[in-house]
Amino acid sequence: MKRRQFLLASSAAALATAGPFFHVRPARADKGELVVVSWGGDYDQALRDLVFPAFEKTTGYTVKLDAPPETAKVKAMVQSGNVSWDVIMTDIPAVLTLMKDNLLEPLDYSAIDKAKLDRIPKELQRSHALGQRIYSFNIVYNTNQLPKAKHPRNWAEVWDPKGFPGLRTFNFQGGIEPQLEVALMADGVPIDKLYPIDVERAWKMYDKLRPLVGKWYTSHAQAIQLISAGEAAVGCTIGPRGIAAKHGGAPIDVEYNQGKLASDNWCLVKGVRNKKVAMEFINAAIDGKAQAGISQRVPYGPSNGGAFEFLSAPQAADLNTSPENIKEQFWQNVEWWAAPGPDGKTPRESQAERFAKWMVNG
Amino acid sequence: MTVSTASRGFWRSREGMLVLPALAFYVLIYLYPLSRLGAWSLFDDGFTLRFYAELFSEPTYFKALRNTLEISVLVTVICLILGYPLAYLMATTTSSARRVLMILVLVPFWTSILVRTFAWIVILGNNGLVNRAALAVGVTDHPLKLLFNMIGVQVGMVHVLLPFMVFPLYGVMSRIDASVVRIARSLGATPARAFLHVFLPLSLPGVAAGCVLVFLLAIGFYVTPALLGGPGEITLATMIDMMINTLLNWGLAATLGILLLVVVGAIFVLFSRLMGLSRITGAGGEPAR
Repeated sequence: MKRRQFLLASSAAALATAGPFFHVRPARADKGELVVVSWGGDYDQALRDLVFPAFEKTTGYTVKLDAPPETAKVKAMVQSGNVSWDVIMTDIPAVLTLMKDNLLEPLDYSAIDKAKLDRIPKELQRSHALGQRIYSFNIVYNTNQLPKAKHPRNWAEVWDPKGFPGLRTFNFQGGIEPQLEVALMADGVPIDKLYPIDVERAWKMYDKLRPLVGKWYTSHAQAIQLISAGEAAVGCTIGPRGIAAKHGGAPIDVEYNQGKLASDNWCLVKGVRNKKVAMEFINAAIDGKAQAGISQRVPYGPSNGGAFEFLSAPQAADLNTSPENIKEQFWQNVEWWAAPGPDGKTPRESQAERFAKWMVNG
Repeated sequence: MTVSTASRGFWRSREGMLVLPALAFYVLIYLYPLSRLGAWSLFDDGFTLRFYAELFSEPTYFKALRNTLEISVLVTVICLILGYPLAYLMATTTSSARRVLMILVLVPFWTSILVRTFAWIVILGNNGLVNRAALAVGVTDHPLKLLFNMIGVQVGMVHVLLPFMVFPLYGVMSRIDASVVRIARSLGATPARAFLHVFLPLSLPGVAAGCVLVFLLAIGFYVTPALLGGPGEITLATMIDMMINTLLNWGLAATLGILLLVVVGAIFVLFSRLMGLSRITGAGGEPAR
């Protein structure tokens, strides 16, 4: 063996043995992929622009977005052992359904900054879910049919067709239970005395609502479309979606009084591939400044109260979690809806069934 | 013995080899999931009949089934009334006119159902095209209720399903020998009599095929009744969707699926008894004459 050949061979051998110990870093480190599942649309674009870049830079992970996080799909994934989602953002009813079937991984709160947690309402900090985006069921009305200041200011007025004429639209299906709290407030129950829900009293109010409803909507997009087009004068739907339509120029506005607050939350799918990185992502997403930026684009309330330090007064006025608006509303008591009754069914399940039967047999 | 050798012979024959890929596909993609569906309706931590007990003890599901059947029958009848003259015209007119008619039937057929359904909301709404025209002309002094009821569902579904009636009808009618009708006329039959006694009976296989196709598609329809219907138009498909996506009660959803399958199967058997299966599918060698 000639000298040069030997040198070449030995250095090649050295490189081959040392190879596994070098980490070859490309321009941007690409350690792996984190799949985040949200509901699509402008909110996802805001996440992509305002949360992902910094996270990807610090962790070296690439975030991939998918939508929507349907519970049925999570169930199918976990049961087939073929989990391709890591972090999902979904509402509490879905969280409870998923938890019941043991399809979620508990969160690791030690990975979240204490300063951020202090600004997030306790209602939003659950073992398997941390609040991110606050939505609310509000009085949403068409401003041509019910001009502002002559619009219904509480649910009793929504139930009053003489004082406030025009068809109503309320939800049916789409994973949302009947609005029993709203029905009780229409019957005069004070906002702090709603739970435990007097179910029979609420259903009597639903009987009164039935003839006023022009269309039972199945998606919130449909509700906003119906109200914007004047097919319904007023409805109970997601306030932030009404605000978004208002910003888009539709004749629509939102009354926040007596609204029902609820949250979309970060959760980990059972069998998440890298829990530590997934928790880091959640920590980045609940940052006050990041959430303020997102809320300026998509008018959902930030879960982190610190966000309002980065928002102007007019911007805050349109958000359901602003200090002004949040005090007129209430947090949905999810525990009541999730507590199993004597037959083993939760109110959420039994009321959804009752709703379907009430609708079909009515 | 003879049977098994005969069947073994069949699978080795040319016909047997030709049918094998389709059969394998069917078993894998259709029969296997279907049997799993059946299993879901019968097993829940061991064998149980509780989903069926729930189904039969609750009138809601049968009310939804009745809604589904009512909608489907009406859609089929309207499609037949609209489709028959159209198909007749297509089969008897000049070839250039036929081409135009064919395109008119096909273009909506190529457009997404969802888009067409939302378009109907715009057209039929209280502030929609139809109502604004009716109010302007003075036909009515308040908006007509055309949406979120049976009218909306029928308009939307007939629009989607009409091609499924027209094409089988046209297929059969175009194969009817025009000279047969001419002979009837030359033997002294009036045009109406020639149509009723000669053309109409010959076109019946197309009627049967179109009706079965439209009816079976209508029974499983989901999007249009959900968007254009009201509480009176809640169908079995809507109930199944609710069971799967909202209540995660897949056992009951599977049971509702089996119920729908049994009903569809029963109707298909009834039709094939009345009309003859070969006439519906168009199989049986002889063209319709």
